[in-house]
Amino acid sequence: MKAIVDCNSFYCSCERVFQQHLEGKPVIVLSNNDGCIISRTDEAKSLGVGMASPYFKAKDIIETNKINVFSSNYNLYGDFSRRVMDTLKHLVGNNNVEVYSVDEAFLDFTNFKSNFFDFALSIRKTVEQWTGIAVSIGVAPTKTLAKLANNIAKKNKHTSNCVTVLDSNEVIIEALKQTNVRELWGVGNQFASKLTSLGIVSAWDVYNMSEEWVRRHLGGVIGIRLLKELHGEESIFMDKELINKKMITTTRMFGSPITELKDIKEALATYTARAAEKLRRQHSAASVINVFVVPKTENASGSFSRVPSVGAHTILSNPTVLTHELIKAAMVLGERIYQPGKSYKKAGVILSGLVPDSSIQSNLFESPGKNIGRFLMEMMDNINFSMRNDVVKFASTGIKRNWKMRQAFHSPRYTTRWEELYEVR
Amino acid sequence: MEDNFFYAPNYKGSKDYSQWDVPTANATGFGAAADDYAERGIDLNEQLIKNKPATFFMRVNSDAMIDAGIHNGDVVIVDRSLEAKNAKVVIAVLDGEMLIRRLEINEGKKRLLPATKKLSPIEVNNSNAFSIWGVVTYVIHSL
Repeated sequence: MKAIVDCNSFYCSCERVFQQHLEGKPVIVLSNNDGCIISRTDEAKSLGVGMASPYFKAKDIIETNKINVFSSNYNLYGDFSRRVMDTLKHLVGNNNVEVYSVDEAFLDFTNFKSNFFDFALSIRKTVEQWTGIAVSIGVAPTKTLAKLANNIAKKNKHTSNCVTVLDSNEVIIEALKQTNVRELWGVGNQFASKLTSLGIVSAWDVYNMSEEWVRRHLGGVIGIRLLKELHGEESIFMDKELINKKMITTTRMFGSPITELKDIKEALATYTARAAEKLRRQHSAASVINVFVVPKTENASGSFSRVPSVGAHTILSNPTVLTHELIKAAMVLGERIYQPGKSYKKAGVILSGLVPDSSIQSNLFESPGKNIGRFLMEMMDNINFSMRNDVVKFASTGIKRNWKMRQAFHSPRYTTRWEELYEVR
Repeated sequence: MEDNFFYAPNYKGSKDYSQWDVPTANATGFGAAADDYAERGIDLNEQLIKNKPATFFMRVNSDAMIDAGIHNGDVVIVDRSLEAKNAKVVIAVLDGEMLIRRLEINEGKKRLLPATKKLSPIEVNNSNAFSIWGVVTYVIHSL
């Protein structure tokens, strides 16, 4: 049996832990730059606040109902995520937890024979007790069915107690009948519309199709895997945690559009430095650096259609971990893609062509000074990790940083900053 | 212990300690007499934090518990996984507000007791929204 543990309104839940007066109240969290709504509590949902909708559009509902608004506090959410995952690992064993996203994890229940409902309920209670975060749990023979079960648990929290177990054919079929194709794991809006137009509306309808049909209409192998999983045959296997990324990106929208080359270069230098930190953290070196900027388009509709971006890349002569070498390359690329007269709303840096750091350490062509460079990077990282406000930084990344993004409703970093601890009376 | 990928402070704690950290352990000849007794040292994290995912820090912002040695400005270590028993100092949530008090459970009745004569005990009854946020295990007081 598999289980999926999914935190309820995760970002909002994190905010509530140290703001207990918000329990039972409508709360929302905004994306980077306070752009759109990325998390809502049940109370906010029922007031009609839409997921992923732009903040400015919802301002009326927010003011009328006194909905509590927060800017995203990723330091806080990352810390709570780790606590939830560590708690799960403690309860079922390290090897039986697959962290799927910041607020979801699959659990392998193969080694547990007890009453699944009681077991899942005890997990849910322990996670909430230890971390303050409420979760919903779906238990079923396959991951896809577990996700389906989880949806059911979430939709009927009061009756389900946030746990749903599908452990018999009758119960599975009943669940399939009440699930819309749109809610199936792996079926996006595109497929869902197509299926509905063909008369396939529920998961039960998909369950009854043949493998051949599914292969033709649900994206080949992916469709077959989905069908098998619905029938209780595991076809999507537990992956080992993806520790090392193959590409490292740092992109941010600007607080307000910028037009000066020097500001663009400052931003690019900062993003490069941040990406380089992530690079060194996973002990990789990069050989390709890609830089892009997004100019403002004339018909700023505020919607999420594809925006044109202008980018350029360089393949470095040797893979490197050194921030100053990457910044140097980024500056040249920035100058190349910048066009005077345009105003830019977003920029980003992508490091790729990653190789293990150890492979560059004994390069015959490397100058002796490189080792000092690496030593300096390590010292800088140690200082910055422990203090985390870029105490030591490169001058090119700017002192005032006028382009930093808006975060008008940021809560304190209660669990990661000594100076921002919650004050209790 | 676990690999703290995202937090890599300079001081990694004493659990990473291995024989290679002892500078005088000399493989070829006679090491220093103290080598056999090399210990990994005292680690506050190990001593004060028993259950990491459930442990949080808070700063005390009142004199409510001053007679218990918990002063305004001190930092307290709070463990959410411990059982809130009678006489434990806890972080309690009362009608949405978080308070640090001593919990009294007497024949099923609960009270929140301050440690100062300037405040009075609070009776918890069914009309209040009451819950325990966590149990205070240590107080860190700077001199």
